[in-house]
Amino acid sequence: MKKLFKWLVMAACASMLTACGYNDFQSRDEASKAAWSEVVNQYQRRADLIPNLVNTVKGYAAHEKETLEAVTKARSAATSFQITPEVLNNPDAFAKFQKVQGELSSALSRLMAVSERYPDLKASQNFRDLQSQLEGTENRIAVARQRYIKTIESYNVLTRQFPSNLTAMMFGYKVKPSFTVENEKEISTAPKVDFGSRK
Amino acid sequence: MALILAMLLSSAAAQEQVPVPPLKARVTDLAGMLKPEQQAALEKTLQAHEEKTGNQVAILLLNSTAPEVIEQYGIRVAEAWKLGRKGIDDGVILIIAKDNPRDLRRMRLEVGRGAEGVITDAMSKRILQDVIAPHFRSNDFYAGLHAGVAAIHALLNQEPFPAVASKADEQKNHASWPLGAFGLFFFLMILFISHRKRGLRSDGWGRSSGVYIGGSSGGWSSSGGGSDTGGFSGGGGDFGGGGASGDW
Repeated sequence: MKKLFKWLVMAACASMLTACGYNDFQSRDEASKAAWSEVVNQYQRRADLIPNLVNTVKGYAAHEKETLEAVTKARSAATSFQITPEVLNNPDAFAKFQKVQGELSSALSRLMAVSERYPDLKASQNFRDLQSQLEGTENRIAVARQRYIKTIESYNVLTRQFPSNLTAMMFGYKVKPSFTVENEKEISTAPKVDFGSRK
Repeated sequence: MALILAMLLSSAAAQEQVPVPPLKARVTDLAGMLKPEQQAALEKTLQAHEEKTGNQVAILLLNSTAPEVIEQYGIRVAEAWKLGRKGIDDGVILIIAKDNPRDLRRMRLEVGRGAEGVITDAMSKRILQDVIAPHFRSNDFYAGLHAGVAAIHALLNQEPFPAVASKADEQKNHASWPLGAFGLFFFLMILFISHRKRGLRSDGWGRSSGVYIGGSSGGWSSSGGGSDTGGFSGGGGDFGGGGASGDW
C-alpha cells in the first residue's frame, strides 16, 4: 500500500507540473531564445554588408563624405553593442539595442537616398547587387522581427496567465521585451527621395 | 448617412488583407494573365523539375496585394504554402501582382532558406529585372514567366540538393515512432513485473498489467498513412524572407 501511495504522489506531482506549465515554460523560453538569435543574426548580416556598400559608393560619390562617415560610425556603434543572452531579459539593454539598430537604419536610408543622385553609381552592377542584398536583408530582418514578436507573445501570455504565473514567479521567468515602434508618427510618413535638379 | 456608412464600409474593406489563395496547383492565375495552354505548359515544366530534383517552384499571379507591400504578402503566402522539402527548404515562389501601385512593387521572388545559396538576393533581383521584366514590358507575360522559370531552374540545378526521397524512405520514417511507444511500454511492464516479484498479490497485479497490455497495443496501429493523392502540396519547407522584389 505504501508503494502504491508513493506512485500516486509522484503521479500527482507530475500532473501538477504540467498543469502549472513548467514544461511549457521550458519550450517557450527556448523558442524565444531561438527567435531572438535569428533577429540578431539578420541584423549582423546587414552590418556585414555595409563596408562593401560604403566602398562602392565612395568610388562614385567620394565627396558625400558626411553621409558615408555617418553610416560607418553608426555601423560601429551597432556592432560594438555586446549582444549577450541577457539583452533578452533586460528591457533597458533591449531598448538600447533597438536604438543603435534604428540609427543604423536611418544612416543607411540616407546613404541610399543620396546614391539616387548618381546615375553612374546606380547603373553599376556592383551597386545594384549590393542594393538588392541590402533590401533582401532588410526584409529578412522584418520577417525575423515579426516571428520574434509572435514567439514572445506566446511566452509572455504564459508568464502572465493564472496559474502559470505562479510557476513563473517561482522559477524566475519574467516577461520578455518586444519590439516597439519608437516614433510611430515619423515612421508613418515615408522618407521623401529628392531627385531635385541634379539629374 | 448612407453615404457615410458606405464610405466607412469601403475603407474597412480596403484595409483587409488579400487572402492567401489555397495551394492547388503549381501555377495559380487569379489575374487572367495566361491562356489555359500557357498555364498547362508552365505546370508541366515545373512538375518535371520537381520530379527530377524535389525542388518545389510555384507561380502566383494576382491583381493586387494592397494594402500590403508585396514582401509582406509574399511571406504570408510562403508560410501558408510551405513549399520545399522539410529540412531542405528548397521552395521558390514567383509572385506577380499586376495592378499593384509602384510603392507596393509588382514582382517578387520569394526564396526558401535552402535555395538562398544559389538564388541569392542579387541573383533574384537580376532574374526579375533582366530576365522577366523585358518580356513583361512588351506585355508578353508567358514569355517572361517561361524565361524566369528557366533561369530559376538553371540556378537550382547548380546546388547539390539531397536526392528525391523514394517512397520506401518515407515508409521508414512513419515506422519509427511506434518504436518509441513500444520502448516506453516495455519499460513500464518491467516495473510492474518487478513489483509482482516483491510479494504483492500476484493475481491483482497480473490482471491490471493485462489490461495495460491490451490498452497500449490498440493505441499505435494508426501510423503510416501519408496519402499521396496526386494533388500538389507543400513539403513543409521554411522561408526566411530572402529573395528580391522588382517592377517592370
